[in-house]
Amino acid sequence: MITLKSSDGETFDLDEVVAVEMKTIKNMMEDGCAESVIPVPNVEGKILGKVIEYCKKHVKKSTAKAEEHSLSDADLKAWDSDFIKLDPATLFDLIRAAKHLDVNSLLDLLCQAVADMIKGKSTEEIRNLFNIENDFTPEEEQEILRENQWVFH
Amino acid sequence: MAGWSQLPKDLLLLIAQRLNTRFDLLSLRSVCSSWHAFIPYSLHPLPSRFPILPTNGNSWGLYLSSRRILCLRLPESHCQSTINSWLIKVEEDVPDMAHLVNPLSTFQFRHFPPNFPKNFEFSRFRVFELGREYVLQYMNHRPSGEADEGSLHKGKVTFSCASNGDDFVMLTIHVSGKLALFRHGNKKLTLIDDMSSPCDDLIFFKGEFYAVDNTGRTVVVAIGSPPVLSLVADSVSGGNKKSLVESNGELLMVDTYFDQVIHGIMERAVQFKVFKLDQMKRVWVEIENLGDRILFLGEKSTFSAVASEFCGCAGNCIYYTNSFFFPCGQEDDAYTGLGIFNLENGNMGPLSSFPDYAKVIWPPPAWVYSDNIV
Repeated sequence: MITLKSSDGETFDLDEVVAVEMKTIKNMMEDGCAESVIPVPNVEGKILGKVIEYCKKHVKKSTAKAEEHSLSDADLKAWDSDFIKLDPATLFDLIRAAKHLDVNSLLDLLCQAVADMIKGKSTEEIRNLFNIENDFTPEEEQEILRENQWVFH
Repeated sequence: MAGWSQLPKDLLLLIAQRLNTRFDLLSLRSVCSSWHAFIPYSLHPLPSRFPILPTNGNSWGLYLSSRRILCLRLPESHCQSTINSWLIKVEEDVPDMAHLVNPLSTFQFRHFPPNFPKNFEFSRFRVFELGREYVLQYMNHRPSGEADEGSLHKGKVTFSCASNGDDFVMLTIHVSGKLALFRHGNKKLTLIDDMSSPCDDLIFFKGEFYAVDNTGRTVVVAIGSPPVLSLVADSVSGGNKKSLVESNGELLMVDTYFDQVIHGIMERAVQFKVFKLDQMKRVWVEIENLGDRILFLGEKSTFSAVASEFCGCAGNCIYYTNSFFFPCGQEDDAYTGLGIFNLENGNMGPLSSFPDYAKVIWPPPAWVYSDNIV
């Protein structure tokens, strides 16, 4: 049993097989620095909980205890689709957490989800979606305009 | 809380790599200062107008022109009771000199409506890429009497390029009906002899070149020295011209039946049959209904769209071009030679008779002019 502690003091108990899905934690365990509670100061509880939820579902089948962890590929995909139905702010925190904790499959899933949200949208729509301000100078704006127009002949 | 504009470069690039079109990349790049700095202008730089077939010191040669078939729509924030799209084909070989071309033919739009913005800001719209088209063009006038290389410019061209833009392969249909291959570094075309009937169409699908001959027999062309053809589907009986088109991730074949108005010169399409590929049995299986999908058989390219996302009209139809016209330019309008075929009841006719389907092509819809778009 491993215990992780988030930046805001929340603790999570998890099986070792789940913990090693997070390569950063796995390395810490292998390096022997894991004591009873491993601190994760870069990730807050709400987000760490989500990462752990993902890892629990994705524990490799070879190490899975029978009914508890195993899901068919199709079921897993469906679960993943539901999992990523999150607001952009949470996605942002999750992506950074997945990178920090080094959970590759989660990072892929999240980046694909964000890319899918972006596809086809206009620049202004993307700004609104992710709550980003247009911080270009007037000169930069001109350059942007040149990139984003056709001059028809 | 740090915002998305502060997303580290490596993570932003992980997202950007998953975008499929140049326009998505541009939209992303234009969001804010840091994203503009981190995201390259293009992930797959392709030299534009690069020459094909250098001709040993002759003053003329051929170059490959690439065009994008796009569907433009208003961003969702604008209230729309029906879906409104504008289907266009744009050639951007020379930056600052773009050409607007009819999506189904080679007819170039030169006469724009008054008030149409010639400096067209496409970033105001949602842009979806439906397909690519490649056309061989002359670099300079070709001297008369030079047959061979130049005469192949009528045929369909498919093209594949390595991600660094250096290594490329071009496959085309030679005037003889044979497949012709040109690779980066070659000095001339290689004709492939293996197809017994003339080749009707080509497509680059899921990373491979497919070619179909006049009987429907379809092969995959593995590029090598020598190129190797492997059978993908046997012949089908029936129509006069076969076309390959991608729809919803699948490879379809359309068989066009002609009515010979004047034998060999003017042919009019009278019926279409659609087939999908049974890869295991290596046969084309006829399908009776395309559902919500629309197929487009253009002169130099094929593509498809989802009707409900595209024009709000019913799907299960095919836009096609007729060789039943003489492309003299002057009398042509946007719809010359274009028709639409309904798979459900076999109804067909010139596109001008179906305004709901015609208006997605020309004239440009009112909403592209409006200054009210944010």
